[in-house]
Amino acid sequence: MKVKSFHYTELGLYYLVVFLILQEWLIPILELTKTGHMGLILIFIGICLTISLFNVHFIISWIVKITYIGWFIAKVYKDLSFLTSDGFSFLLSEMQYNLVVVISGRWLEITDPFRTFLFFVLIWMLIYLIHYWITVRRTIFYFLILTIFFIATLDTFTEYDGTYAMVKVVILGLLMTVFLYVKNIIIQSGITVHWYKYFNLVMPAILLIGLVSVVGIVLPKSDPQWPDPVPFIKAATGQGDGVEGGNSVSKVGYGTNDSRLGGAFVADDTVVFLAQADAKQYWRVETKDFYTSKGWEQSANIPNESAYFNVSEDINYSLPTGPEENAKIAEITQINPFDFIMQPYGMKRVELDPDYNSEYSELGLIMNTNTEKIYPYGDDKILKLDRYSVVYSKPTYLYSDLQSEPTVPIDPVAFEPYLQLPDTLPDRVVDLANDIVKGATTPYQKARAIESYFSRNGYKYETDNVAIPTADQDYVDQFLFETKMGYCDNFSTSMVVMLRSQGIPARWVKGFMGGEIVDTNGSIRTYEVTNNNAHSWVEAYIPNVGWVNFEPTVGFSNMRSIEFDIETSDREEELVLEEEQQQTVEELERDREQQPTSNRNDKNFFANLVDLINRNHIFFVIINLSILFAGIILLITRKKWLPKLYVQLNRRKTMNEASFETMYTQLLKVLEFRGYKRKNDQTLHSFAKEIDSTFGTNEMSKITHVYEQYIYGKHDENIDFNKLKESWEYLINRSSS
Amino acid sequence: MHQKIESIISNIEKVMIGKREVAQLSVVAMLAGGHVLLEDVPGVGKTMMVRSLAKSVGAEFKRIQFTPDLLPSDVIGVSIYNPKTLQFEFRPGPILGNIVLADEINRTSPKTQSALLESMEEASISIDGQTIHIPKPFFVMATQNPIEYEGTYPLPEAQLDRFMLKIRMGYPSPQEEVEVLRRAEHNQPIGTLDSVISLEELLELQEEVKNIYVEDSIKAYIVQIARATRKVSEVYLGVSPRASIALMKASQAFAKMQNRDYVIPDDVQYLAPYVFAHRIILRPEARYEGITQEAILNRIINKAIVPIKRYAEK
Repeated sequence: MKVKSFHYTELGLYYLVVFLILQEWLIPILELTKTGHMGLILIFIGICLTISLFNVHFIISWIVKITYIGWFIAKVYKDLSFLTSDGFSFLLSEMQYNLVVVISGRWLEITDPFRTFLFFVLIWMLIYLIHYWITVRRTIFYFLILTIFFIATLDTFTEYDGTYAMVKVVILGLLMTVFLYVKNIIIQSGITVHWYKYFNLVMPAILLIGLVSVVGIVLPKSDPQWPDPVPFIKAATGQGDGVEGGNSVSKVGYGTNDSRLGGAFVADDTVVFLAQADAKQYWRVETKDFYTSKGWEQSANIPNESAYFNVSEDINYSLPTGPEENAKIAEITQINPFDFIMQPYGMKRVELDPDYNSEYSELGLIMNTNTEKIYPYGDDKILKLDRYSVVYSKPTYLYSDLQSEPTVPIDPVAFEPYLQLPDTLPDRVVDLANDIVKGATTPYQKARAIESYFSRNGYKYETDNVAIPTADQDYVDQFLFETKMGYCDNFSTSMVVMLRSQGIPARWVKGFMGGEIVDTNGSIRTYEVTNNNAHSWVEAYIPNVGWVNFEPTVGFSNMRSIEFDIETSDREEELVLEEEQQQTVEELERDREQQPTSNRNDKNFFANLVDLINRNHIFFVIINLSILFAGIILLITRKKWLPKLYVQLNRRKTMNEASFETMYTQLLKVLEFRGYKRKNDQTLHSFAKEIDSTFGTNEMSKITHVYEQYIYGKHDENIDFNKLKESWEYLINRSSS
Repeated sequence: MHQKIESIISNIEKVMIGKREVAQLSVVAMLAGGHVLLEDVPGVGKTMMVRSLAKSVGAEFKRIQFTPDLLPSDVIGVSIYNPKTLQFEFRPGPILGNIVLADEINRTSPKTQSALLESMEEASISIDGQTIHIPKPFFVMATQNPIEYEGTYPLPEAQLDRFMLKIRMGYPSPQEEVEVLRRAEHNQPIGTLDSVISLEELLELQEEVKNIYVEDSIKAYIVQIARATRKVSEVYLGVSPRASIALMKASQAFAKMQNRDYVIPDDVQYLAPYVFAHRIILRPEARYEGITQEAILNRIINKAIVPIKRYAEK
């Protein structure tokens, strides 16, 4: 009876693990196919597993399963009870209809209830297969590999995030492997195993799995060694897109939703456009003005007005431009066309090749005056242009203008949207900003101070492990005081917030930055801009000058041109700073506007755990190392402390049948530490003689004689163990001294 | 040491010098109800050993000298027509004794050997359709010259299996041999031996041996050794389950001799070469290389894992 209950508990344990693994299969399937009723399907899996656990007669098992499937379909599709005549006739007619459809091979006409039925049958068969694997083959390897492959595939090619599913499956799979391996050993050796023994067999492996998992999570992970294959595959199959919106699976690139910033993102080398220009540019797309403490939104304070321009007409917007005689042309070739114009600083107008896009009679441009995002249109439709040119002339700021004291105070009404701050902004952000700008007198000096603050104070550029603010946390506050690492969004948003706290109007700018030179033709270079080049930065309103762009992100250099018309010690500082930033720009040139990879609202236990470990990285490493170190020390010195421990443990115990065997085994172990190891083929009797002749005593033979009587003799004999305790203590002390 | 058994052995020692181990092993086989094959060259005291043992237990001692022309009827007896009673009368052969010495058993033909060995196994003889039980205790000690010697008929494997132990006498050490000579100067001391134990007491001891406890782990240990003999590459044929039974019974008797009422692995280890060696058949190539059965058994015992825990609790 005891054996039987053990058997069922053991199998039950296996099935529980299998259930958890199956759940990881089911979640992405249901999520991606938008299927509901997860709970009810899980119950079905539970029923199937329970039935195979107890080896129920197959007729009963079939009846139970089919009844459940029938009930489920009737309930979900018609909200009918299975037992009513309506429900029953519904199922019957479905079955009839679909059988005809199947037989005639008109697969597409199969109805949803029948598909559901087939899905259930699939689960049923899968569980039968797993049952076979576990109880007959006693191996889970193929199932495990299949599961991992399945999750990895979904994670790579769909928006399903399998990070934690993968960790869970690997841990569960290792556990299952251990259980089955132990089971195999037990069966092969033919021994009867009870709870205690089973626990002893399984525990070391479980502890090891725990340790390995924690170490695995804590260890730093290298970036992918290969470029992401998805864009390549998509391009090759003609599905390429880098545009946000729709059902795009692209995880990186230019996105419109910035309401919740933070989180890690994955690189994406998809080429967005090629730009032929004389120098590296910031390609401005739009600005945002409303900071929500979690991210950016478009404010309702400025009406969303549209301004219309013709092609080749000068565009009138908030930024200054340089003189016409310095104008240059940049040609943009969009590989994955966006529906908006890339604006270099100093942009004057957009031009189109006359032969190009001739199918549209009325080509023009619409600009949202709030965000300054410019869309091309033709025939009243927003277009995606493959090719266009922009004429620009970079403004040169006079240093004396930048440095001058504001002559008129900033109009708080006109600039209100650019001075907005959330009420929940922690005071320490403002205090920090106050500290940073101490000593700076003009707005430009203050802005410079804030811009350079990050690189001078050890803030790190980081794309993985970037935190997401929790419900009551501020995005900027978290970055400035807690994590101190992040990517462009963290730096630019923080700078905007700090500028605003100092009364300097500022806005957040999104676009692309830089790109890789792929071709050179005289002074004109062709830059290849990829999704990895998506970027965000800052524009601040400097009195007497207008909007000036700033680059707070560590590793990126600013490209404003300043004419130093007055001698100033600041000049050197400017140059030094430029240089510092230039040095790192090469290595860290990749920054991106990103769509975070994980669903931020859905942080589960695992995510929290990983967050916790990541945040206290060093702490966990130290704890692990010290546990490891202590373990090694204890292992090395066990010869010293183990005998004493044994004596202590058994001091108050009286020798009796239960304790005798353990104590004798401990004695053997202690003797082994001293170098008196009994060989496997040596009998206890001859071993005891050997020990006694070494120690010049007969205690070992005395105690061994009783032990022999205990293990080889009739079990009902009365043995007086208690007088042996002295011998035992004597021997332990002798061998450990 | 068990008092009565010790008295038998020390009695034998009065005559046999330096052969305590052989005496002990012989007594073990007798107590376990098995038979012994003594193998050695002539003149090392095989016959003396058996005679002194027979004297010590006060048993009826019979001796058969095997020669090439000996017939089965010379062993088990023959029915002779008695003209007075006008009937056939059975004249029992020398096999019908308590302790039988079958001297130089490998000098006779296989036919006669079989007659002896079958009666050993059955503890009874059949003649003229009549079954005659051999009185208990019944203990055969056979001696044989090493089979390499001239004019011998090697015993078939199946028949070797019927001997519980095969013991080698070996030459005495120089000091012992001097002592042997000193005693031989006068008369044979064998005539002076008295019995130290009655037949009833011997039967009682045999019953007690059967009750010696053998823990399952010890049985598993015996089986472990037996099975290992079947897997050695030099061995053509390993030992049979009958051999395992013999080892267990011998171990029980040995434990009894040590005055213990349970068997320990030491008993098994000590007896295994005596019980198993003659039942292992080596491959010819191994024999040419000079590998002996004893060497193989030692190797096996050195690999077998001694049980030091109780067999799985139930």
